[in-house]
Order: sequence, then structure tokens, then C-alpha cells
Amino acid sequence: MSRYFNRWTVQTYAWVLTLLLPALVVIAYAMGSEGETLRHLKETVLTHTVLNTLYLIAATSTVALILGIGSAYLTTFYTFRFEKTIALLLAMPFVIPAYIVGFVYGDLFGFFGPVHLMLREWGIKGYFDVLNFYSVVLILGFALYPYVYLIVKASFSKSRSSLLYPALNLGAGKWRLFWQLILPLSRPAIAGALTLVVMECISEYGTLKYYGVDTLSTAIFTAWFGLEDPQSAAYIASIATVLVISVLIIEKIARSGATYKSEKLLSKIPKERFTFLGGVGAYIFMAVPILFGFLIPLSWILTYGYANISQIVEVDYLVVILNTFVVSGGSAALIVAGALLIGYTARNFPYGINRYLSKMASFGYALPGAVIAVGIVIITTTIDDYMGENLLSGTLGVLIFGFVVRFSAVAIGTVDGSFERLGLSINRASRSLGKSHLSTLWRVEIPLMKRPLIFAYALVFVDTIKELPLTLILRPFNYETLATKTFEMAESQMVYESSVYALSIVLIATVPMVLTILKSER
Amino acid sequence: MLKKIVLTALAIMTLSAAEVNVYSHRHYPSDAELFKRFTAQSGIKINLIKASSDELISRLEKEGKNSPADVLITVDAARLHIAKEKNLLTPLKSKVLEANIPAHLRDKQGYWVALTKRARVLVYNKETIKPSQLSTYEALATPAYKGKVLVQSSNNTYNQSLLAGLIVHNGEVKASAWAKGIVANMARKPSGKDVDQIRAVAAGMGDVAIINTYYLGQLLASKRPSDQAVGEMVAVYFPNQKTTGTHINVSGAGITASSKNRVEAQKFIEFLSSPEAQSVFAEVNYEYPVNPKVKPSNLLASWGKFKEDNIELYKLGENNAKAVKIFNESGWN
Repeated sequence: MSRYFNRWTVQTYAWVLTLLLPALVVIAYAMGSEGETLRHLKETVLTHTVLNTLYLIAATSTVALILGIGSAYLTTFYTFRFEKTIALLLAMPFVIPAYIVGFVYGDLFGFFGPVHLMLREWGIKGYFDVLNFYSVVLILGFALYPYVYLIVKASFSKSRSSLLYPALNLGAGKWRLFWQLILPLSRPAIAGALTLVVMECISEYGTLKYYGVDTLSTAIFTAWFGLEDPQSAAYIASIATVLVISVLIIEKIARSGATYKSEKLLSKIPKERFTFLGGVGAYIFMAVPILFGFLIPLSWILTYGYANISQIVEVDYLVVILNTFVVSGGSAALIVAGALLIGYTARNFPYGINRYLSKMASFGYALPGAVIAVGIVIITTTIDDYMGENLLSGTLGVLIFGFVVRFSAVAIGTVDGSFERLGLSINRASRSLGKSHLSTLWRVEIPLMKRPLIFAYALVFVDTIKELPLTLILRPFNYETLATKTFEMAESQMVYESSVYALSIVLIATVPMVLTILKSER
Repeated sequence: MLKKIVLTALAIMTLSAAEVNVYSHRHYPSDAELFKRFTAQSGIKINLIKASSDELISRLEKEGKNSPADVLITVDAARLHIAKEKNLLTPLKSKVLEANIPAHLRDKQGYWVALTKRARVLVYNKETIKPSQLSTYEALATPAYKGKVLVQSSNNTYNQSLLAGLIVHNGEVKASAWAKGIVANMARKPSGKDVDQIRAVAAGMGDVAIINTYYLGQLLASKRPSDQAVGEMVAVYFPNQKTTGTHINVSGAGITASSKNRVEAQKFIEFLSSPEAQSVFAEVNYEYPVNPKVKPSNLLASWGKFKEDNIELYKLGENNAKAVKIFNESGWN
């Protein structure tokens, strides 16, 4: 079998290319754009949008890292009352879309929201405004830290006692142990989670617009639609692309430093108890993200969702739920299958370009949904034109394709990680017994990776039911999902009425999250 | 016999298959209600995709002649003009539309018609400002209003059209000075939506906000007492009454160049201009009807009659990109 060209690599190349195509099409569109509009953008908004993007990435990542790593550490190495519930709740902010959290806090801290009203009742006059950059950092930080928490926690819990015990016995303090051993051991996991956070920051649009923060993704919209210059828009998209590539390269470097993957898993380390003060601090530390990231937005959604519950009597509601399941379930299945293909090839044929395939396939995650959507519309209409009839445009397949392009990154990290942990020995043994690659993957490796695969599926599923801009542009006629319904009502300033749909998103997203987390606890 | 059955079946199928595919930027409850009524009356099914007009125009453009869309509905005149300039629309000839919609609210060559009007007005805090202190959009850019003006982001198409109108009336140089003046007078960096500007005025963060009328209507009609209270604390002012008139924008529709159901599409647009449909727009969504036979809702009527800016609407589209550039240069994010 050739190293570069065999059935596996060729299929993987084809898949990765398919995932890259929309972004490539958009960037090709940008070629040769040194036009007047671009000059105008460079002179006016470009510098500060690039800077804003960088600030947003730095600040949000810091919040997400502190919250994510901190709570992963506490829940892995300590035992305490309500441990399981808290570990679960810490993951829950992930189920509420950031744009809904944005609306909720805009309302709660708005000039006539409960907070201001309370202050006024206490005789405190004046006002404060939350629609600004700092709020966005907190909202995104609290919405995105579960990526770090979940991925890093999985890695912490695999920390080997074979390494930790001797260190403890040799008298290393907890801080030193954390900084010099636990953290470095989890570097690949942290880097992987951070990549997702950074890419989310780059592609975020709705919350930023509402809070009045300009970044590259808002500049793309200004250029494309406001100035009607897709070339300049694509140019800005390629700046975002360069940012992403740098992040991915840094991540790759971080990952390559860690080569502990083949070590055998020994017994888990027994968990410790908190001291009194330590316990108080730890509970507060974990309560903050649970409260602000989950419980407060949830109670808001529940309050208004309950008040507007009469809406769900409509038959439409069931159709919306069904649509949501079809498009998210289907996309998530394709995405995990694709991630398996890429992961398998990258591990079994780790030569040349193959090592970078998963990075390339992750690309779509960093581009604003609308940009990917336009790339896809160009592709599908070109095919339709060639065929002379409307085969693709406006079909459900196109929407699912959009999701696959956008969200593959979410599964790839998890799947790659579990291939790494599995190592190659089982695979080689199976193959030396005469099984084919496919049968080895299907019969031997997938059953062994069941848990991370389900986890990846759940993560993608939850991410896709929250997705918005892509769905708006690519969906077929009359196709409504929970996200489009929520958005539509919030957009027509019916924020309170939209909470029924927001609540449905939260409930549906909660099920797979809870199941996978309970599973991984065992 | 069999032939007869097949033919009847075919006839029924073609009858029930009558449909119109709509790309719409409108996301209001009034529209769902109207589409239902239209289908009930005509038997023509409405298929709908809702997204922003920019995105829909972009999709139409890429889809070209294969686009399934029959009707494009936008929420501002500039986008209709842009769609026309990109050859995405086809002219409409209809006696019904000519009777229902005044000429200045229709495209000269018939590429699109307006369905509702929105006025971009000022709302002011009744406690801090007297209406006599207000006059024009232009005046808001003078130093007297330093730290007092609230307005949303320049990404907003309504702001783009407002500035496009000022470019037409006053020229680019003055329009640019106006944008810079407003930026200097802003009570805060533009954020939130029109409704949030009204709340900020009521809270006293600034004294005057630039908004579309129906947002105030929605606040006043809200089920939440605090929203109603906000609505009561502010009042509407129609600017430029002694000069060019208050800026008017329209939500409108056109038949796409690729439409395969032109007859049905035209029927649909004619229905939307009918007195029945117009009163739904007016009552449910607090927009100004375009059909002169239909009166605005009581609430809108209570704000009084006003002089409208009679600028030819296509000019808003022509000057849209210029407006965006001026916004960028002025630092209006």
C-alpha cells in the first residue's frame, strides 16, 4: 500500500477538501482585490477591528481558561458534597446559546431590568450600561469555558498515579504538582480546547453586534453587504483565516511536546478533601460560572417560557422540533464519521501532509457562518448551473453540508485525542491477524472508543442545535428550527415570547450533555 | 374512465400545487397571519425563507436563473433598489397595485412596490427635553446635543438609508460633517437595537434617540408593565417638518427575475396591498399603511400627522454604499 495514495488517504483527502471547499471558494473570490473599497476599509475600520478581535480572543480565553481549568482541577482531584451534581452543572452553560445569554443579561441589567429597578427601590439613583466590550468578554467566557472544562477534565482524570505518586512522596506541594506536572501533562488537551474557544471568538457575530463590539466578523458583513464588495469581505475573511492558522500552528506545537499517550493507565488517584477555607473558596469558585453561565439565564428563560407556554400548542412546534433533530442528528453523525476517517488516516499514515489533515478540516469553525454559507451557495449554484436544473440549492442536504463544514472541528479534537490514547498496538495486532483497515476500525477500535465518540456526537449535536446564521441562509423553504424560531422572535423584539423556543433548545441540549457526562463519570 | 381519473387527479394536483416561493426579511407576526389569509382566499400556498435582505439578495444573485424564489420582500427601499440594479427583479404591471399604492411608493419602471412605510423619528425624554428644543436631524449634530444622542450601529440598514437621504438633500460634505457631529454627541458607543435606544432615553442616559416608530408601538403594546412605563416616559418628535420632511423608509416587495410563478406572485403582492392586508400591517405591527384607503392604527394616529420626506426612494439605494463609507470614516461603529 502506498504511503500517500491508498484508499484511506485518498478518501480522507477528498473529505478534507470537501470541508475546505467553501472557505477556498470564498478566498478565491477575494483574489486580486486591491480595490478602492479595500483601501477605504484599511484606512478606516480594519485596524481597530483586528485589534478588537485580538483583545476579545485574549480576554475571553483568559476567562474561559481560568474557569475551565480551575473547575476541572477541583472536580477531578477533590471529593466534596454534591460533587456529581456540581460536576454536571459546570458543563451546563454549554447548552444555552451565547446569543440568548447575551439577550438575557441585556434585559436583566438593562435600564428597566430587575437590577436597576432594585437599585432604584433602594434609593440608589443613576444607571450603568452593560452593552459594552467587557460584558461580551464575560458572556462569551462563561458560555465557552465548558469546552475547556470538559476536555481538560477528561485529560486530568487520565493523569497517571504512576507520575503523581512519586512526586507527592518526594514532597512536592500541591501548587507545584499542579503547575509542574498536571498542567503540562494536559497541555495538548488545553491547547485543543483553547483552539475551539478562539475560533468561536473569531466567528461570533450576533452577541457582538448587539453589544456594539466590532470585530473581523462584523467587518466582513460591513464590507460584503454594506459596501457591496464581496472581494473586500473575503480579504477580511482571509485575515481571520491567517489568525486561525497561527492558532492551529501554535496548538500543533503545544501538542507535539507531549508524548505520554502510550503510557499504560494505572489506577486512579484517590481524591482529596478540602480544608475548611479551601472548601469555601472552591465552592465559591465553582458557583460563579454555574450561577452566571447557567442558573440565571435558565431562570430567565423558564420564567418567560412558562408565561408564553400557550404557543407550543401549535402543530408547528412539533415540526420545528422534528426539523431540529433531523438536521442536527444527521450532521452530527456525518461529522463524527468524517472525524473517524481523518483520525484513522492521520494516525495510521502519519506522513507529510497527513499530519495536518485534522487542522485543515477544522478550519470552518473559525469562519462566520454567513461566510461559509455564501461559499456553499456559490458551490451548489455552480453545480446546479452545470446540471441545468435545481438539484442542490435549497435542499436539506446543503444545510447539513454547511453544518458539517462548520462543526467538524468540534468532533475532530475529541476523536484525535482518543485515537492517540488508544495507540497503535491494538490496530497493528488486529491487522497482523489479517483484518483489513476498515474491519479493524469498525470491529475493534470503534467499540473501544465508544465513549469518546458518543461524547463527540453529543458535543456536535448541542453545538448544531444552537447554530444560527448558516441555517438562516441555507435552509429550505418553510424550514424552521428551534434556533431560527428563537432568533426570529428575538429579532422582532419579542424576546420574551422567544423564550419558549430557547427553553426547548436548552432542554433538548441538556439530555445528551447529562447522559454523556454521567457516562464518563462512571 | 381511467384517463378521466388521471386527468382529474392531475388537474387537482396542479391546482393544489399553485404556490409562491418568498424570500423575506420581514419577521413579524403580522406576516404569518397575512400569509394564512392569502392561502385561505386564493388556494395558493406560500413557501417562505426568512433571513436578512442582504443575505437573501446574495443568495438570489448566486442562484441566478435557477433560483426557486418568486418574491423578494425587504425592509428597506435601498435593498429593493440594489436588487433591481443587480437584475434580480422583473417589472410588475398591475392595475390593482397602481390603484392601491401611490406612485411615489412604486419603482418608476415597476420593479418593486412599497407595502408599508416606516418613519425614522426622534423620541425624547419628556422630563429633560421640551419639543421646542428639537427641530431637525441636522440639529442633533450641533454642539448643543453633546452627550445626549442615542442611536444604534451603522450596520443598521435604517441608519444607512437615513444618511443616504441626508447625502441626497445636503451633499456628501455636509452629510459627512453630520455623521461626525453625531458621533461627537453620542451618549454612548452605538449598541443594542432601536428599542434599547428608547430605554436608554427613558433612563436618562441621553435625551434623544433616533428610532423607527413601530418599535415604540411595540413597547407600548408590550405585556410587560416596565416596557409600557418606558413607552410612557418618552414622546415622539417628527423632525425636519419645516425643511425636507421626516425620513421615510419602506418595506416592499418585487417579483424575482427567475420567478416561475409570476401570476401567483403578482396576486400575492396585490393581496398585500389590499385594504384588508394593509390594516393588518397597521394594527399588528404599527407600520404606516401605503394604501391611502387604510388609516394608521389609533396609536400612530395619536402621534399626529406629519410631513414626509418625498425623496425618490431609489436614491436611498444609490447612495447606500456612500453612506456606509461615511459612517466608517466618521467612526460610527
